[in-house]
Amino acid sequence: MHRFLRLSILLVSLFAASSYAADATQAVKMTEDSLGPLVEQPIEFPHFRHAGDVNKEHPEKGGMQINCMYCHTFARRSAVAGIPPLQKCIGCHQSIESVRETPRIKKLFEYWEGSKDGKIAAKSPIPWKKVHDLPDFVRFNHERHIKRFVFQQNRPVQEACGYCHGDVKTMTVARRSKTLSMGFCVDCHKKDHLVSAEGGTAIGNQAYWYGFKKPVVNASMPLTAKGPNDCWQCHK
Amino acid sequence: MIDSSFDRRDFLKVLGWGGAAVALSGCGNTSVEDGKETVVSYVEATDFMIPSIGVYYNSTCAQCDAGCSINGRVREGRVLKLEGNPASAINRGKLCGLGQAGVQHHYNPDRVREPLLRNGEKGETITWEKAYALIAEKLQGVSGEEIAFLTGAMSGHTKVLLENYLASFGCKNHFAYEAIAPGVVRAANKKAYGVAMPRYNINKAKLVLSFGADFLGNWVSPVHFSQQYGQFRKGVNGQRGVLVQVESKMTLTGANADRWLVVRPGTEGILALGLINALGAASGDVAAEVKDYDKARVSKDTGVSVEQIDKLVALLKSHTPSLVLAGSAAEGYAHGSQNAAAINLLNQVLGNVGKTVVGAASVPFPQMAPILGNTAALASVSDALDAGKYKVMFSCGVNPVFSAPTAMKFKEHFAKVGFKVAFAHYLDETALQADLVLPLDSALEDWGTSVPEYMAGDDAQINIQQPLMERLHANTRGFGDILLALLKQRNPESYKNYPDYYAYLRGAVLQNKNALGGEGADDDEFWNASLSNGILKLAGPVAGLSGGVSAGGLSLPNAPVADAQYPLHLIPSVNANLRDGRNANQPWLQESPDPLTTIVWDSWVEIHPKKAAELGIVEGDIVEVAGKNGSIKAQAYLFPGIHPDAISVPLGRGHDAMGRYAKGFGVNPFHILDAIFDKETGELAMHETRVKVSKTGQRVIVVKDEGAAGGKQMGKKIAVRTSTDKVDLSKEV
Repeated sequence: MHRFLRLSILLVSLFAASSYAADATQAVKMTEDSLGPLVEQPIEFPHFRHAGDVNKEHPEKGGMQINCMYCHTFARRSAVAGIPPLQKCIGCHQSIESVRETPRIKKLFEYWEGSKDGKIAAKSPIPWKKVHDLPDFVRFNHERHIKRFVFQQNRPVQEACGYCHGDVKTMTVARRSKTLSMGFCVDCHKKDHLVSAEGGTAIGNQAYWYGFKKPVVNASMPLTAKGPNDCWQCHK
Repeated sequence: MIDSSFDRRDFLKVLGWGGAAVALSGCGNTSVEDGKETVVSYVEATDFMIPSIGVYYNSTCAQCDAGCSINGRVREGRVLKLEGNPASAINRGKLCGLGQAGVQHHYNPDRVREPLLRNGEKGETITWEKAYALIAEKLQGVSGEEIAFLTGAMSGHTKVLLENYLASFGCKNHFAYEAIAPGVVRAANKKAYGVAMPRYNINKAKLVLSFGADFLGNWVSPVHFSQQYGQFRKGVNGQRGVLVQVESKMTLTGANADRWLVVRPGTEGILALGLINALGAASGDVAAEVKDYDKARVSKDTGVSVEQIDKLVALLKSHTPSLVLAGSAAEGYAHGSQNAAAINLLNQVLGNVGKTVVGAASVPFPQMAPILGNTAALASVSDALDAGKYKVMFSCGVNPVFSAPTAMKFKEHFAKVGFKVAFAHYLDETALQADLVLPLDSALEDWGTSVPEYMAGDDAQINIQQPLMERLHANTRGFGDILLALLKQRNPESYKNYPDYYAYLRGAVLQNKNALGGEGADDDEFWNASLSNGILKLAGPVAGLSGGVSAGGLSLPNAPVADAQYPLHLIPSVNANLRDGRNANQPWLQESPDPLTTIVWDSWVEIHPKKAAELGIVEGDIVEVAGKNGSIKAQAYLFPGIHPDAISVPLGRGHDAMGRYAKGFGVNPFHILDAIFDKETGELAMHETRVKVSKTGQRVIVVKDEGAAGGKQMGKKIAVRTSTDKVDLSKEV
């Protein structure tokens, strides 16, 4: 008798504790349009100016069509895309005199040279806030996706990155525009993707499909494959 | 709680439901930190620095003095994991658990982070400039004889700098103190073979007879010996090596032995001489020396049966070459030197010298060779302190207030010094007594070189220590850097070209480039290659061993007589993880179970089941172990692998300082050791203490990994249940 009493008390308290824990951590509020939160960054970085399309009429308003991977250089080499080193920003901006005195660039150089009030030491990293985050139990590998879509299939970089990151080239500070939930990932992994494209890298008779089933080769149909569908691919 | 009706199955059920509850209610992205967490980028990155991709650096392990080379994985500027460096002849790519825990030394939350100056009972944070100025001021007008420097075993360029610093005062008082080093065996080896530390070829022996040398656990260079042991077990010419361990308390090596012989504590030498006599292979003065040690007498003195002696002699005759080792259990007595000499004599009589005991390579720079020392050095420091000889004393890498027996009164004598400086990673017992504490870089942040005492390879090697990552705390300094700064106070002209210790080290290595195998190489290339290897190898001279067989001056006392008041021998055992206690604040080591008892986070008293039954003690009883110099209280653990007239308490625990993971866990048997010294070498006779054991009436549940022998085991009878008092390990082969 006592045993069951004790069991049920333990069960109830565990349930209560876990619900409480879940409540406490859901502090990030979604905005009305179900985008990610508006994140205030130390410097309002204009993605549109760097990666946006060229505006022929008003070149000062348009972008420079810089490849995403010019700055986010780790994306094709590593599981994480990484934030570019400060050195990279300075590398270009020390020779772009025209914007040197604008407020954002002045702020940028404070992190490199140190601020006058001494609050920022020279060569300190910019404390960017994370915009795209996944739960700790999900492992997403940038390298695999970039290799698959950009290098094997020759898709445009902005398209490949945009699958998950949205149209960053129109944003100033990046904002999460996809839900990045498990359903979002699975939706895409369920689709038949082309495994070769014009100009795509030859990939031999292996490793271009990720499931356990080899795709059926039918000369009249384009060769397609699905993304991996195993739990352990992401939940390692 | 343990007695409650709430059994394991119910608990698992609840856990399962609980887990489901968490999963159901926690379906939101509970660990997502969009817009909250800061993501820090590199300021300047080199090409090989890619987030989430590890980079590997070679360095040297500083957890013990064996000098294994390590290979550390560094990711995003943080060292994450240590493994062995395959290029080292000592550990050849492997690393022990103690070495693995090195990251916990580095990331330890209780590290000293600022220079501290004593202000009453408290330490006041001061700047390094002030600390250096203070040292200079205190050394003003103090003569060389009034300064002492106490360190652990030390070698390499740090030792060179330290000697130079002391020489600038004309000071010769550099003492090296290692709490549990084989000091007596070194001296006995020097006599028998001409060198303190020869190379032991365990892998070439067909029989290893070890007198208490725990070479798989903690003795001299355990990672190296463990690998040799693997080869030894696979066998020379297909013949599997046989290991016989003779000791009074089972060690890890004893647990692996084919035959484990329990001897009356302190009679190891008698058994060795008895074996020489029974072998009948000796002649001349050796034969004369051992003729009194007939089997009947030896058996009576040591407690080893005649039958076992006969078996052992037959094994020694049929298995050549063999190897006989003298370990800490044999040397820890007032006649320890004699024990070790008798054991070495057995090696000589068996003709093992030159086969399994051979000369070791040495580094041709004597100024870099390790300075070693043991408790004899500490005793002389303690006496000199008592006489008030020193006005300023430095200590680095040692903790004598913890590891010296209370009977030596080190703490009281230390207090007599006018100005005490401790170089420390943590506020340990000794640092707490100091007037000035200087915080050191961790072993994974510092530069250095070291020369291992036990040279395992055919070539001599100098180990390089290099930082695996940036300093965690801005105000710690490397020991070499501090020494250089102090030397600049004394001698600014000679050291003005070296802005830091790194520059000095690089200069010193490149100066001897030719001798270090870099003849004709470009400076930068050679230096970078050396750092990348982590080791400098050099063909050093191999000292030959002297071959004479002589029993000169050997005189063993008779077997010890029983002490009515203190009937039991106290064996302070050395555990492979905690050793002398300098790493006790690394929680991995505290919680990894002792290999033999599986006890964690606490001390225990090993007692033979027969003796326990006699005293009415059961497992978990809190017993008081009282000797002439104090007492300790700890939980009893019934252990058949110990002589019934002995009890054993592990060393390393029982700190009353050194941070949250060390302070207050277990008891410290160092403190109750009697101040009895080996008659020849003056080293502390660690096993000489006699104690009595009494129950206090309290009882606890021993926290350990093992289940009851032959217990439930999921309903399957895997092991047969044998009560521990029926087990006689000495009969098992």
